[in-house]
Amino acid sequence: MRMTRYLPYVLGAALAALFPLFSGAYLEQVAVGMLIYLTLALSWDMLLRSGQLGFGTAGFFGLGSYAAILLFLNVGVHPFVSIAFGGVVAGVVALLVGLAVLRLRGMYFAITTLALAGIFAVVLRNFPGLTGGSEGRMLPNCIYAGNTTKIYWLVLALAVFTIVISEVFERTRIRLALTSIRNDERVAKSSGVNVFKYLVFVFAVTSAIQGLAGGTYAHVFGFVSPEGSFSANFLLLPLAMALLGGVHSTWGPVVGGLVLGALSEYLKLQIPYGHLLVYGAIIVVVTLFLPQGLMGTVRAWWRRSHVTRGAQ
Amino acid sequence: MSLKGKAMGLRVWALAILVVVGAGFLVAAEEGPIKLGAVLPLADITGAQGSKAMQLAVDEINAAGGVLGRQLELIIVDDESKAEKGAAAIDKLATVDNVDVFIGGMSSGVHLGELPALKKYERVTVWIGAASSLVEQAVVGLDWYFHIHPWDYLQGASYVEGWAALQAEYPLIKIHKAFWAYEEGAFGTSSYQGSLVAFSNWENVGESFKSALLGGGDYRAVLRHAQEFDPDLFIWVGYAADALPIMEQAAEIGFTPPLFVGSPPGWPADFGTSPLADGVIAYGMWAPSIKDVSPVSQHFWDAYIAKYNEQPATYFAPLGYTNIYVVAEAIARAGTLDKEALITALEATNYASPLGETLTFTPSNLIQHQGFRNQKILQWQNGAQQVLWPFEYATALPAYPFTGP
Amino acid sequence: MTLFRTLRRWQLLLLLASLGVPIVLMLWKPYVLIEGLQRGGLYAVIALPMALILGVVGIINLAHGEFMMLGAYFAYWMGVYAGLDPLVAMIPAVVAFALLGAITYVLTIRRALKAPELNQLLLTFGMAMVGTEFANLMWTSQPLKPHLSYVYSSVALGKLRFGTYAFIYTAAAIVLLVLLQLFLRKTRLGRAALAVGQNPRGARLVGIDVNRTYLLIFSVSIALVGALGAMFLTRHSVFPSAGSPFTMKSFCLIAMAGIGNLPGVVWGGFGLGIAEALVSSFRGYGGWADVVFFAVLVAVIMGKSYRRQTA
Repeated sequence: MRMTRYLPYVLGAALAALFPLFSGAYLEQVAVGMLIYLTLALSWDMLLRSGQLGFGTAGFFGLGSYAAILLFLNVGVHPFVSIAFGGVVAGVVALLVGLAVLRLRGMYFAITTLALAGIFAVVLRNFPGLTGGSEGRMLPNCIYAGNTTKIYWLVLALAVFTIVISEVFERTRIRLALTSIRNDERVAKSSGVNVFKYLVFVFAVTSAIQGLAGGTYAHVFGFVSPEGSFSANFLLLPLAMALLGGVHSTWGPVVGGLVLGALSEYLKLQIPYGHLLVYGAIIVVVTLFLPQGLMGTVRAWWRRSHVTRGAQ
Repeated sequence: MSLKGKAMGLRVWALAILVVVGAGFLVAAEEGPIKLGAVLPLADITGAQGSKAMQLAVDEINAAGGVLGRQLELIIVDDESKAEKGAAAIDKLATVDNVDVFIGGMSSGVHLGELPALKKYERVTVWIGAASSLVEQAVVGLDWYFHIHPWDYLQGASYVEGWAALQAEYPLIKIHKAFWAYEEGAFGTSSYQGSLVAFSNWENVGESFKSALLGGGDYRAVLRHAQEFDPDLFIWVGYAADALPIMEQAAEIGFTPPLFVGSPPGWPADFGTSPLADGVIAYGMWAPSIKDVSPVSQHFWDAYIAKYNEQPATYFAPLGYTNIYVVAEAIARAGTLDKEALITALEATNYASPLGETLTFTPSNLIQHQGFRNQKILQWQNGAQQVLWPFEYATALPAYPFTGP
Repeated sequence: MTLFRTLRRWQLLLLLASLGVPIVLMLWKPYVLIEGLQRGGLYAVIALPMALILGVVGIINLAHGEFMMLGAYFAYWMGVYAGLDPLVAMIPAVVAFALLGAITYVLTIRRALKAPELNQLLLTFGMAMVGTEFANLMWTSQPLKPHLSYVYSSVALGKLRFGTYAFIYTAAAIVLLVLLQLFLRKTRLGRAALAVGQNPRGARLVGIDVNRTYLLIFSVSIALVGALGAMFLTRHSVFPSAGSPFTMKSFCLIAMAGIGNLPGVVWGGFGLGIAEALVSSFRGYGGWADVVFFAVLVAVIMGKSYRRQTA
């Protein structure tokens, strides 16, 4: 019984792991980009499940990138160790910052996390001795010497790790706590949920994931720079993916990430000049006509078809 | 008999036709087009016009019979100014389209992300963008890598040479003190630092500003500091969006250094129409006025306008055109697409480019195959950019000093 | 009682600081005050329409800066084809962008209001992308700016020479603030809008047409930001991504002031403008101006939340 329940996931993971067998370097490279954004989208959504709208995704991503690359270049550890370090730095900074800013709610929390990302970038730029300043730092050799298949598996491992964490959040009492905080904080508090503790915990964990993603990205593409590593793309694209796929679940951001990632690459090849216009228009149209996101719509359709079948 | 003979004759004819057509197909399958894979930021005017100029060159070459009897095929992929998209573009061109040569390029940040992919395939790469010396460090020892755009420090060295020549030629011009206002991002900072080494005999002061391209646009603090410093030469390194606002704000506080220099990668379309533009020195690789002294440039200018009904507005247009011709001529010289032969042929490049100079590949600080190394010192006069230096392309005499409105 | 006294002391300190800092600056570095007010005025005036939409309609319009950018292009082409000065082109811009705002509202925003709250974020993000890319396809990424000789007019007081034209942004911020406050407090429509912003359900109960109020406020805001795009163009180049930094700046100012606090947006804009100008006035420290912007922002937000909790 239990086995069959997990079968689809195992199959899906196996399929994803075997993807390089029937794809070339190009599709692997596209998948690498998609999986990085997917990881960010999922981590953003994990915080959103507590009702907190975080805008610090790009900031912790960039912080993790810098931490990983600087440790790697200055101390010479194994790339994996430096990526983990990137995650730890992002997580610890988020923990400390979270103790202060998680008293804020709504747009006040959102804008404060956004401001933090801006501060990280400016501070790193203004210590050129260590960080390379505006030009950033470059790796002499990239991870796996650019072997796309191995890189794909590395990034896939990151994405699967994030999915597992997200599912743990969904299947333990963390979910109950986060949902109750989102629905009504006062009720959550009165029913014994330590709201602040949970929020700090989730903020630190999701930021650490963003830091891991940043460290991985930096190792895969071989450089960090204030403009590149803290680009608003690492906030806005994941946000769009999660919202389009459907928020407050694991599979919404995952589906949104895969669909938007594939769509952007496909459109680019079809319409070299102006594909972003179509991409934006599709986002607008989907928002208007599928307000529950892709997964929400699928789920509603599934439920409806089951109900009618049950009635028959 | 005669009937049979006729039938026989027909059969022979049919066979002959079949053989010829079949062979033709075989040859065609073997001798498909030569594929050039370009990666450019198509949403930016540099990439948009650069790719158009590339297509123009490809069409010209194909109309003249192609290369080695084969047609050229240009496959352009947008890098969207993102490193991961640039890397995926390289992988697509290498594995899906199986291109013979990689060309293109603009931003250094994107190129750094593309290099791991390029190093994987080790195909001949002739790059027109990426000026950062960080990129140069990343391509050390790659014999298949050819870099056309001058590195940041080469540009600095070139201007040192240019100002020395101008001061020698026109004794009125004297430079002892220079103030550098540079955009705080990678572009401005690397240009400034690349130049600082070169201009060691001047007294240099530098300060960064936030470009309008990134949400800045108030230069008055920097301009006031420059005014206090009272330099002989003031130079700003920023983007086209900064050009006219900087002139206006300098006029507003009454800052008129004897030499007012701008060094953006491109100028706004209507900069020349402003009276504030008159006398402003421009750093660059190319200006439309070069067509007056270079027949290649004139041809490029006319052909581009005829094909696209717009004027080339950035030097990436002639660079893209150059990119195609350099590769096509090298393939023709090599007589084959064999990598070693092609590298040798590229090393023998001697191409009179629409940028004015003749392009050859020589060693730079770290790499073997560096193309252009010189910039030009231009000046806005009566709404157009004129070449002041190098003297062989000069189209006007310098107007000195800068007086402001 | 003690609480009351500490609050009073807080306010006294604030008052002293807000009077003292300008006086010190005036004597020490007068141009910091002047240029800070000019720059801050630009931030503030562009943030005001966004604050209006957020306060009444309740959505964060991520396409705010893109409407401004389109307004600047509109003014530019009005100059090329009709010979209008950008400041004159503000009049047709108001009409055109009111229409654009109304169409946008009816076709998109209205439908998204019933959807989950965050959908509006995605919707306006998509709209921002469409706006930027539309401009890019139409007019390329090459910046455009008309030449206007009045924008660099200046006066000299002794050794100090400063630009006068940019005070137009300071003035526009104050005038727009006063007009909006008068509209919201003195007119029937404005009071209805305020009521809708505070409690849409309650407003509906007392017979206010909520949908029409939203339409009106959204159109007015877009009309304003379109016209401000024309004013922006007088001193800045326009290019497809010219607007997006202003979306973020505006959002920051509104968060600093608090939703529904229009005067706070203007004072906050002035304050941040002066703070930025002050940091930039030290040679070599201009790169820290952004940190100051964000630090002031975070400090104000945290300070307010702390005071709310202690009170």
